[in-house]
Amino acid sequence: MTITPEMIAAYADGELEGAERDRVEQALAQDPALARQVDAHRALKARLSAHFAPILDAPLPEALTRAVRAQPEAEVLSLDAARRARAASARGGTRSRWAWGAGAALAASLALAVVLNRPAANGVPGYADGQLAAALDTQLSGGQTAGAPVRVMLSFADARGDLCRGYSGQAGSGIACRDARGWRLEKAFGGAAGEEGVYRQAGSADPRLMAAMQDMASGPALDADAEKAAIARHWKR
Amino acid sequence: MKRPVSSVLSIGKAKTLSDRFESEMLALLPRLRRFAAGLARDPARADDLCQMTVERALRSRDQWQAGTRMDSWMYRIMRNLWIDETRAANRRGQTFVDEEAGAAVGADGGQEARAMLTDVDRAMARLPDDQREAVLLVMVEGWSYKEAADIVGCPVGTLNSRLVRGRDALLALLGEAA
Repeated sequence: MTITPEMIAAYADGELEGAERDRVEQALAQDPALARQVDAHRALKARLSAHFAPILDAPLPEALTRAVRAQPEAEVLSLDAARRARAASARGGTRSRWAWGAGAALAASLALAVVLNRPAANGVPGYADGQLAAALDTQLSGGQTAGAPVRVMLSFADARGDLCRGYSGQAGSGIACRDARGWRLEKAFGGAAGEEGVYRQAGSADPRLMAAMQDMASGPALDADAEKAAIARHWKR
Repeated sequence: MKRPVSSVLSIGKAKTLSDRFESEMLALLPRLRRFAAGLARDPARADDLCQMTVERALRSRDQWQAGTRMDSWMYRIMRNLWIDETRAANRRGQTFVDEEAGAAVGADGGQEARAMLTDVDRAMARLPDDQREAVLLVMVEGWSYKEAADIVGCPVGTLNSRLVRGRDALLALLGEAA
């Protein structure tokens, strides 16, 4: 059985196993020239490694780390930071880069898949009724599947201390705040019910809804426990 | 028709995934720079290659599955970008690095070390591209033959023979004592 140069190199690289490895070791024991080849391979590897090793410890170019960190989905901001960032960026139709990560507890409960809204008449006055009111009363944020008629996204207190909830559904998305009469519709963004019916995925929630919630919220969003407590007291202050 | 969303991500989950993706990529950057330096043999071009690789990986991040190896995925991206670059350059009739230029990508230290290291650079520069990448992946980056073959997209046997030819050439150029 001949020992090929490939086998010697593979042996030096620790790539041989079992019978093949045994065979090479036997040959090495008998042939000092082969043993020297293995040494030469290992010395070469050590030399190449040493040659390139300093790069591992060199400082990284800032442009490179910035490129990694610039990925939009990575941004999780406090409400204040989101507000500042939004104020600083020009208004436009670009993808919303905000995220509502005021706290880990909140984060776990916030579903982002929402109905794609078309620009439409907004500012519908009045109070929620029927399905929407029931959803606002009883559902935890983020607990609904994508196809649900109403998806409650997030709860927060507004400046007056009323509890408000952002929702999204086939009939549109909006924000409703609980007062003595019920769920007062504060904002509504036309939903174009069923039109296209395209759902957006995480990170591309309707920026208008997100922006409006950021503007209205006076503190961090409610976590799941706080929502349960709020449900128990019918969302009264 | 309504199209249900297959995965409803919470921000929490998205954030966790993003953080892991980001931190894993950041941790990989030194190794990617080293591989880029070996491929491009010129520090500025190497960093350009790194930048392109990161940007491509970020754009293609949905192709990467959490829980699978990010390193081999990004090595593959870098390697393929480099192949594209060299082919484009060959069409333009350019060569990036004069093989006598001795770019000394890893050189750091005294004159003696510098002189020795540039020998390695010159020897590496004289290898054909396929042998150089095989040598880099296995002998510098520490991939197994199989992993290196996967990154290159060739059979293990092919990788093995390129590697042997490459290292024989290096041994001849650098002297048996290496």
